[in-house]
Amino acid sequence: MFSTVSPSNPDANSNNFNLHETEFHRIQAILVKMQNELRAQLVLLISRSGQPIVISGPADNIDCTALASLAAANLAATDGLANIVGEREFSVLVHQGSKRSIFISDLLKRFSLVLVFDATASSGLVRYKCKRTTLLLEDVIRDFQRRIEKAENVMSIPQFSDEEIEELLGKH
Amino acid sequence: MTFINYVAREINCKIVYYGPGLGGKTTNLQYVYQITGTENKGKLISLATETERTLFFDFLPIDFGQIRGFRTRFHLYTVPGQVFYDSSRKLILKGVDGVVFVADSQEERFDANLESLSNLAENLKEQGFDLQKIPYVLQLNKRDLPSAMPVDELSRHLLVKGEPVVEAVAPQGEGVLTTLKAVARQVLIELRKSA
Repeated sequence: MFSTVSPSNPDANSNNFNLHETEFHRIQAILVKMQNELRAQLVLLISRSGQPIVISGPADNIDCTALASLAAANLAATDGLANIVGEREFSVLVHQGSKRSIFISDLLKRFSLVLVFDATASSGLVRYKCKRTTLLLEDVIRDFQRRIEKAENVMSIPQFSDEEIEELLGKH
Repeated sequence: MTFINYVAREINCKIVYYGPGLGGKTTNLQYVYQITGTENKGKLISLATETERTLFFDFLPIDFGQIRGFRTRFHLYTVPGQVFYDSSRKLILKGVDGVVFVADSQEERFDANLESLSNLAENLKEQGFDLQKIPYVLQLNKRDLPSAMPVDELSRHLLVKGEPVVEAVAPQGEGVLTTLKAVARQVLIELRKSA
């Protein structure tokens, strides 16, 4: 369930982002397909505030939480750089390493697609596939934004009591 | 932006520690990291200069446990406090759910506190938030130092809206967890209200 938000202010305080099972599986299917086509090690959909949303890949030795946070910060810093040099945006970032590379692209200014791949995939092919995948993901995101605006299939936020909150905080 | 994943049954919230340079924001996170068990924390990421001044941000994910079957994770961030890093501070506030203002209690840092607080309100507004409405805690750090101003006087100048005020000595952990729990409590209550 999304709260209704004004289109000009997508990150307003009243906005939560709640991932419905249908959207989760749609997104996951898109990411898995991309991962297989590119033989990528990891594909993530992350929020621009730095949270991993859907992950596809073994991710054995990669800390996805840290990766999501740093990728979002990377993209945010790049937005700042674009602004300074008079560009509207730099929507795609590629970091090329000797064994692994990372591709980060913006999605509707609220999310980001992050891909970790090795030298077997050419960066040109990665860019091409990511562009197509970005369009598919944007469709899914727009679909569930429309669903929320129509208040269809709204999932309720857990109504935990004050006592349950205190019990949770007391454990730490 | 609180993220609830109904498939994985996870609630994820973002908390940002704000305040003037060298006020103790990073020290707060370092203490939380030290006392949290391995199974409940991720890596502490610090993007800092050679002299350990925060350059971009610190980041620490903490797992508080389960509530109503939902694993509850808080993503803690600090911002760089030095004045000229304002562009970076704006970026870190994106999608924030709760803010801790770490004030430096020393008299000589009084103006720096005020400047940082004003900067916080301004940057939140740019991101579409209102300091009057967002979950918020004021921590008065460095209470052990000889030039620490009286709590009453400091609070009078720094209080925004009757938020919880926590006295702290961050290197020793005093007040650190109390602060974190206070802001986490507000974030969860706010989340519940948004239903």
